[in-house]
Amino acid sequence: MMDQAANILAALGGVANIIDIEPCTTRLRSEVHDPTLVDVPALRAAGAHGVMINGHVVQVVVGPSVDTLATDLEELM
Amino acid sequence: MRRSGLKYVRVRDYLRSLVTHELAVGDVIPSERLLCERFGVSRMTVRQAVDALVVDGLLEREQGRGTFVAPTKVDLEVRLASFGEDMLRRGMAPSSKVLAAEEVTASPDIADALELLPGERVFYLHRVRYADGKPMAIEQTWLPSRLAPGLFDGGTPDSIYRELRRRGLDPDWGEDTVGAAEIDAEDADLLGLRTGSAVLRLARRTFAGEVACAYSRSSYRADRYELWVPLRAPRRALTPRAALDEQVEDGPRTENKPPVSGAVP
Repeated sequence: MMDQAANILAALGGVANIIDIEPCTTRLRSEVHDPTLVDVPALRAAGAHGVMINGHVVQVVVGPSVDTLATDLEELM
Repeated sequence: MRRSGLKYVRVRDYLRSLVTHELAVGDVIPSERLLCERFGVSRMTVRQAVDALVVDGLLEREQGRGTFVAPTKVDLEVRLASFGEDMLRRGMAPSSKVLAAEEVTASPDIADALELLPGERVFYLHRVRYADGKPMAIEQTWLPSRLAPGLFDGGTPDSIYRELRRRGLDPDWGEDTVGAAEIDAEDADLLGLRTGSAVLRLARRTFAGEVACAYSRSSYRADRYELWVPLRAPRRALTPRAALDEQVEDGPRTENKPPVSGAVP
């Protein structure tokens, strides 16, 4: 699980690229400084079931594990 | 122009409150004449207000008989239950008419939704769903063939979710995307609606753990369904600690030293 959080964070462009991450039921909804640093195939490889990018907002579909992932992400950030 | 617009809203909202709080399903609404007198408006304004509620599905007009309170809409809950399970829970008898039940090659969009490789096989089920014998929705469902070998061998299954559970896949989460649309001629015929009537379009991805196990697209008649969505304030967002640390460090420093223009740490 910790690995998955680390992989997702790296694929979002690393901690430096994150403005914030909000856990939303089945998705991690993240606001990033530079959306071009987001690596979609890497997010899919990290177990994402979908990635939606809209401006600076990146939504990563992860399912109900979103809460545990959020706890792990908090430690990594 | 603006005044008549406001008058129409007043009559409409009065009727809406009357329908939801004082009248029962099947009751007749006050006559046009009565409403004209009460609100001091023209017959045209009253008709406009009634039309709006007919379109909303709150009222039903019957030729030569009058305008009545329509049956209460079913709230389409965003929860992971199948149509049949949901109707049973509400005390209605579900049934289906199968329009197609076949194994096909997944098109790129279906493969994407089910996390399959292009060209993989899927079971496809196309059904009209009924509640107490009345057509309520049209549903297309796709599921990966390898997850449910022989799905159609014993005939068309009543419940896809039940078939998945029997195979050890317990649908436990998913995502719905809901939009409004106008129904086309063919679907209108199947649901007994006029072409161009409003429907709620649902696209659903169903997962069992990490496995994408079903994808469906449905059209629910908007005169019988309304979407119900529970809301909560968003959870506290996670922010990088570094950003917070900077703020904390910056605080005392600027307090003790006079600001130096152009100085960047």
